[in-house]
Amino acid sequence: MTRLLVSRIGQAAIVLLLAFTASFLLLQALPGDAILIKYQNPEMGLTPEQIAEIRVLYGADAPIWVQYGNTLWNFLQGSFGYSVQAGVPVNPLLATNLPPTLRLASLGLVVAVIIAGALAFAATLAPFAWLRNLLQSLPALMISVPVFWLGIMLIQIFSFRLRLVPIINPSEFQALILPVVTLSLPIAAPLAQILIRSLDEVQTQPFVSVARAKGASRAWVLWRHVLRNALLPVLTIAGVLFGELLAGAVVTETVFGINGLGRITEQAVSNQDTAVLQAIVILAAVGFVLINLLVDLVAPLIDPRLNTPIGASA
Amino acid sequence: MSLIPSNALRRKVQSTLAAVLLTGVSAMAVVAQERPVQGGTLVYLEQQAHTNLYPPAGGFYPNSGILNQITDKLTWQNPETLQNEPWIAESWEINADATEYTFKLRSGVTFSDGTPLDAAAVARNFDTFGLGNKELGYPVAEAINNYDHSEVVDAQTIKFVFKKPAPGFLQATSVIGSGIVAPSVLDQPYAELGDATKIIGSGAFVIESEVLGQSLNLKVREDYAWGPANVDHQGRAYLDAIQYIVTPEDSVRIGALLAGQADIIRQIQAYDEPQVEAQSYTVLSAPTRGVNNNVSFRPENPLVRDLKVRQALTAATNSAEIVSTLFSSHYPQATSVIASTASGYVDLSEKLAFDLEKAKALLDEAGWVPGADGIREKDGAKLELNVYESLPQPQNRATLQLLSQQWGVVGVKLNVLAGDSGSAATDNLDPLKTPLRPAMVGRADPDVIKSNFFPTNRDSLLQKGGSNANATWEDPELNALLLSIASEPNPEKRIALTGDVQAYLLDQAYVIPIFEEPQVFASAPYVHDVSFDAVARPSFYNTWLSAR
Repeated sequence: MTRLLVSRIGQAAIVLLLAFTASFLLLQALPGDAILIKYQNPEMGLTPEQIAEIRVLYGADAPIWVQYGNTLWNFLQGSFGYSVQAGVPVNPLLATNLPPTLRLASLGLVVAVIIAGALAFAATLAPFAWLRNLLQSLPALMISVPVFWLGIMLIQIFSFRLRLVPIINPSEFQALILPVVTLSLPIAAPLAQILIRSLDEVQTQPFVSVARAKGASRAWVLWRHVLRNALLPVLTIAGVLFGELLAGAVVTETVFGINGLGRITEQAVSNQDTAVLQAIVILAAVGFVLINLLVDLVAPLIDPRLNTPIGASA
Repeated sequence: MSLIPSNALRRKVQSTLAAVLLTGVSAMAVVAQERPVQGGTLVYLEQQAHTNLYPPAGGFYPNSGILNQITDKLTWQNPETLQNEPWIAESWEINADATEYTFKLRSGVTFSDGTPLDAAAVARNFDTFGLGNKELGYPVAEAINNYDHSEVVDAQTIKFVFKKPAPGFLQATSVIGSGIVAPSVLDQPYAELGDATKIIGSGAFVIESEVLGQSLNLKVREDYAWGPANVDHQGRAYLDAIQYIVTPEDSVRIGALLAGQADIIRQIQAYDEPQVEAQSYTVLSAPTRGVNNNVSFRPENPLVRDLKVRQALTAATNSAEIVSTLFSSHYPQATSVIASTASGYVDLSEKLAFDLEKAKALLDEAGWVPGADGIREKDGAKLELNVYESLPQPQNRATLQLLSQQWGVVGVKLNVLAGDSGSAATDNLDPLKTPLRPAMVGRADPDVIKSNFFPTNRDSLLQKGGSNANATWEDPELNALLLSIASEPNPEKRIALTGDVQAYLLDQAYVIPIFEEPQVFASAPYVHDVSFDAVARPSFYNTWLSAR
């Protein structure tokens, strides 16, 4: 187990370095940069010499490999540099924006899992074939709804028409309701789709017929026997959905005007705020690595067969 | 147009009529109804987060919307007369050739951290604005030309000395970029002034707290007693607090205002105005009094180097149609390079007349003949131009698309590009990729024309010696005219030169002005007396809230 962990951490370090290098090179290859975008803006009224001086100040005039080395060294020391656009260091920017996004994303995931589970059970247990078909086609509809449209519709209906929750100056709880719903629906859809299909597949297996023949009810069999076997593909996809959560947060946070990683990502992309983007890429890479590690560790608990080393039977 | 004068006038007329026609008791009732009430928090929805609160960075609207509440200036430019009137400076003297300015400061003014706003503090501010600070990264302020040094005469007297005549300096002391901050602010690196809590001014409001990129809370300064001398209201502001909330989505800002969740919002598009007015909410529009919203040519590009081509495109532009199709009455059609409310304006609408036949004839004369696909050609090259939309300008993409249709009628193809901001910023420096560019500048002084066109300023035409290192094209006559405006001490001569340069720019067809750009806000019916400075920056010093 320790050996596994050490090798996984080694892998993670390599993944992170590759992610850092790739994002650095890609961001450098883009035309223009954050300094040009912010200071060439006529509203700032700066002369070309002044812009060149600002460039020196940010160290953006150095050769690319020097900049790479400097940035990497600073990252290793935990300093992410300055956001050109926001005019503040990146570290406090992340410290302010990470917690709300984590809260939004984790609540979004929990609600998505609940919705997906409820939908999958209903679609499998519903009494009539037409109802089962209807419920089974719901995820396809949910996945096709654009997140920004959903967000704006929810705001228009629940905040501006029905006036149930304010968008401006909401309480901490109110502030989460609509964004969490907006974020969770598109995440719930693929989860539900996979769970429905996986439940269907497992239900056709002989042990299910055996359990039914022994007199167990459909719901009991589903809950006790089928679900556990059907959960593995869902867990795998949940790791991938982390990326979807981050992407969904970009739109959700912008539409609802709430602070978070998604919103600063969107701003950093459109302003080519390299320092911020690099920090976010590394943060996201760390997130992916951790979640996949977690999935790998949890999977054997659900399916003990995975615990047997592959070479053991040979 | 600005609503301040009309509101003030209406109030005067109303109370006069009331006094004459009604009994004393009912007259008092009317006056009482109109009397400002103290208290309340104003919720202000802003489209974008502020970027840097160093006062000269106030050209960016989100920055200036905050700076205008927390800083004071030496002089106050009366938005009605455009004259400079006393504020922190009680009086001033200017020598004959406008190279020395001496200001006598009001006593007893303090910054919100308790330190005095005296001659030394003012000197520190203007030395930084006028000369920059390379070590800490402060750039030179755009509004201040030819600055040499300051001299502290005594605690309340400060003298500024210029290398060359600086006739625009008095007005420059009143602009948003000349807000005075505590000297301790200017000890911090420029790159860290995006943090609002670090900004200490002497204004009627003080920064209380901030959630970076999301919201900002201002609270009233109880001991504020140094508003502009000629403003009726003195003492503390009526509001207790102002809350800025960044709400990027247009529909959410308007919806929140109409649903009673916000009190005032910035940036509403012309097509949303009827929706606001239909519910008896107020659309507040303030003129920016500078260079009109326009497209400027880059004559370095061979396609637009020929004067006839530029004149033809000017004649093919139907700005009346653009204004009536896309905008509202708050966006007057342009009649010169600068707005009709700007200082030094001359009506040159006859040079901007829409005339398709003239446009076609000029293009024929220039040797551009229609090709098989209707687009004009000459020596195998097509008359096809690229332009990037400018995101901060109102409905700029739609404006350019309509312009593209209008030019298409005379056989010129205009491609409207919407690239990422990096590509746009890079390509806009290359005249071969972008033969024209949308532009506008707001500042109520003739210097504004130089700001837009001079190579070492915004360099709209991309001349030699400006932002494009490879440029070879320049117009020395234009540049000489622009420089003379910036250093002509005689006000009448300066206004005459401003007229000359407007005519010259249009005769050379370097720029096609389209409309006078306003800043449009919307507010709830219970929000009163929002005022704007000469370039449409809101001030909430006089603002008060009546019962909802």
